[in-house]
Amino acid sequence: MSLHDVSYKHWDGQHHGIWRRRWVIASNGLRSCLDNRWAKNLVLLAWISCLVQIALLFIVGQLLVEDSVVYTLVAQLDPQIRLIVNGLVSWLIDHPEISVRTTYNILFYFFATNLRFLAMASIVLVIPHLITRDLSSKAIIIYSSKAVSRFDYFLGKFGTVFALLSLVWLGPVVTAWVAGNFLSSNWVFFWHSKTALINALISVIPAMFVLGILALGISALSTKPRAATSYWIILWFVGNAIRGIGEHTKPWLRHVSIPFDLNQISLAVFNLQEELQRAQDNIPLLGTMLREARNNPFGWFEKPDITGTVIALSVMVVAAIAILKQRVKPE
Amino acid sequence: MSSAVIETKGYSKSFGSQKALTDVSVRVPPGAIGLLGPNGAGKSTFMKCLLQLIPATSGQAYLLGKEVGREGAEIRKRVGYNPEQDCHIPGMVGCEYVTYCAQLCGLPFQAARQRAHEMLDFVGMGQERYRKIDTYSTGMKQRLKLAQAIVHDPEIVFLDEPTNGLDPKGQAQILELVSSLWTVHGISVVLSSHLLHDVDNICEQIIIIAQGKVLVHDTISNLKAKRKGAAEVVVASRTDDLHRAFKAKHWPTEILPNGHVKVEHGSQDLNPIMDLMAEIRIPPVEIIPSPNALEELFVQALETAHEPA
Repeated sequence: MSLHDVSYKHWDGQHHGIWRRRWVIASNGLRSCLDNRWAKNLVLLAWISCLVQIALLFIVGQLLVEDSVVYTLVAQLDPQIRLIVNGLVSWLIDHPEISVRTTYNILFYFFATNLRFLAMASIVLVIPHLITRDLSSKAIIIYSSKAVSRFDYFLGKFGTVFALLSLVWLGPVVTAWVAGNFLSSNWVFFWHSKTALINALISVIPAMFVLGILALGISALSTKPRAATSYWIILWFVGNAIRGIGEHTKPWLRHVSIPFDLNQISLAVFNLQEELQRAQDNIPLLGTMLREARNNPFGWFEKPDITGTVIALSVMVVAAIAILKQRVKPE
Repeated sequence: MSSAVIETKGYSKSFGSQKALTDVSVRVPPGAIGLLGPNGAGKSTFMKCLLQLIPATSGQAYLLGKEVGREGAEIRKRVGYNPEQDCHIPGMVGCEYVTYCAQLCGLPFQAARQRAHEMLDFVGMGQERYRKIDTYSTGMKQRLKLAQAIVHDPEIVFLDEPTNGLDPKGQAQILELVSSLWTVHGISVVLSSHLLHDVDNICEQIIIIAQGKVLVHDTISNLKAKRKGAAEVVVASRTDDLHRAFKAKHWPTEILPNGHVKVEHGSQDLNPIMDLMAEIRIPPVEIIPSPNALEELFVQALETAHEPA
């Protein structure tokens, strides 16, 4: 016999709105994903990168402080490096509005680009927690029989990917900018470096949207978590291989690679060519080094193919939406 | 006239050329409603169309006065559904799952958690609620499904074969709980089952569906009353004398293998039998009115459906 009342009781409280229910789906997915040890490690790695970026920004800021430890250390460096650093310092002092912007832009381009790898890797871990397991266990019926529509379900699951990508990509970028500026020697850094933050947001947020929708589509492709994960890895690595082939044959083939397309957006937004040109013009010794970079394979000075990128990503997103529409049904 | 919880007009559903529901028109008042039919009759399809899990091909349907297809979210907030198949979320523990289902219905977290525990108590789940659902037995999963269906305090709950896979004791417990939902708590219940005994025990109304058509929709008491009166009489001795007496009255009768005497007396009540037994001085141990009435009605309805037009 129960020690407490086990009879049925009615409930007449206030219901939450639809956005709260979508948030419940998103947070549940994120919690389930973060139960995975690898996912936690990936998030940790992203935030360690963030600390490194903050340290770099701190060092840049400290270069302007004559009695700082950084300044003293630079004075003891190899004469050629010291010359470059001195050139950077005098540029920072003479034209902070341009130099801070350029330095931050370059640093944030590389930071956001490197974190993109972690973002792609995090999707490998989140994919089974999106739609795949709900399809395999027929939990879609439960969602459909509650007060959430199929659209709400998708939005909730999209929220899961978006939240995870925020943890490994957007969050570290924004935090690094804020913390880096707080640690800078002069408050005007906030104002002069705003372009770097805006550029990072403009390139990262749309990329997160694209990756989120693609992850949902891939997640809906199979009822087996391993298969769905494999599809994503195949899309990622085979895309990169095709990109390699496309470099030497047909350039449009490069757009099969998602990282390539996302990088094209970053290049267009950050306009790295202009920034490096400006640095080259202002720091003569750095200029000599960067002249070499014009011929190097990193593609920094390459004009981004935005039309091809937009077409390629649109095709992928439309395909993902079609998969979702076709595969995610209660019956 | 009481308002209908379910109302359909010319409701149909086809899967390609296969007609799963044909022109279903019913008006169902609140209560415990049994949805009967053989496998593949269209019971589950009817439920799923009403819950908008699958779209109907044509016709109109209203659930709790709201039009199905137009006011989906509003309807689902007030409706519970216990599907036939397993549909839990892998990796979750029982109470977490029910809490999550309550939150999906819009309950705030604290209320959802409290309701989840209350409903798990109600369906008779103990400490196993803290275990992962993947480790549950069929019976536990059935109880969990019932808990998630009622956790948001719906006005009507659809139960699709809720006693599947349960042992007799478990079946009786679940049916008792389901029965109390309407009789004690005023929650309408639509019970889809192919087990006539389950429906006979807890439902007041039945809808018999076969080949996608509604063959019968009425209260069980009305249907029983429409039938020719029949009874099973249990006596301590003189079974043969009783059998002969019924024959002498020209009532079709037979002695069943269990020793009971089955008789079709043709009356709405048991008075003719009682009078006759008093006359021949055979005291009854028990008289069971209209035994197997639902089975007979069911078979009769199916036979009618199969008759060529």
